[in-house]
Amino acid sequence: MSFREKSAWITLVTVLVCFGVYFSVLVMHIHARRAPASPLFTLHWLLLSVAALAVLQLGAMFVAARTTPKDGRAAADERERLIQLRSQSLGYHVLTVLALLLFVPIHFRHSALDMANFALLAVVVSVMTVAVAQIVMFRRGY
Amino acid sequence: MGRALPIANQIRRLRFEHGEMTQSELAEKIGMTRQTVAAIEAGKYSPSLEAAFRIAHVFGASLDDVFQWVG
Repeated sequence: MSFREKSAWITLVTVLVCFGVYFSVLVMHIHARRAPASPLFTLHWLLLSVAALAVLQLGAMFVAARTTPKDGRAAADERERLIQLRSQSLGYHVLTVLALLLFVPIHFRHSALDMANFALLAVVVSVMTVAVAQIVMFRRGY
Repeated sequence: MGRALPIANQIRRLRFEHGEMTQSELAEKIGMTRQTVAAIEAGKYSPSLEAAFRIAHVFGASLDDVFQWVG
C-alpha cells in the first residue's frame, strides 16, 4: 500500500472517529437535557475534537511514513495526481450540494450555533467523500 | 469497476526479458510508484504518452512493442 493510500485511510478513520464523537456528544447532550447545547459546551468539544484529530493524524502519518517502503513514499506520480484531482472534484461537488442544503434548516428556525454545526458536518462529509473516493480509486487501480 | 481498457501491454514479458526487472525497479527508472506500474501492467490504468515513452525507452523498445491498441 502506497503512502498516499495510507494517508487516505488515516484521514477517513481519524475524521470519522473525532467528528463522530463530537456530533454524538452534541446529539446525546441535546437528548439528555432536551435543550440545545451551550456555545461554550460546543466550543469545548469542538476544540477537543480538532486537537485529537491533529494529534491522531500526525501520529498515524508518522507511523505510515516509517512503515512505507521508499518507493511508496516517492513524489506523487501522474496516476496519483489524477486520483487526487478526481477525488477532490467529487468532494467539491458534495460540499456544494451540502452548502446549498444549509438553506433548508434556516426555515426551521435553527440557531446560529446549529447552522455552524450543519456547516461543519458538510465539511466533514466532503472530506470523508474525498478520502473514500481516493481509497476506491487506489484499490481498483484508477 | 474493472472496466477493461482498450490498450494491451507487454510490460510483464519485457520485465522478465530484462533480467527479471521488478516493478519497483521499473517504477524507479520512470519516476513512478510501484503501484502505478502495477496498475499499468494489469491494464487498469492508461499511462500518459510521456510515461509510455519512458517505459518503452527503459526496455529499448518502440511504443508499439510495449503497448497495443486492442479496441
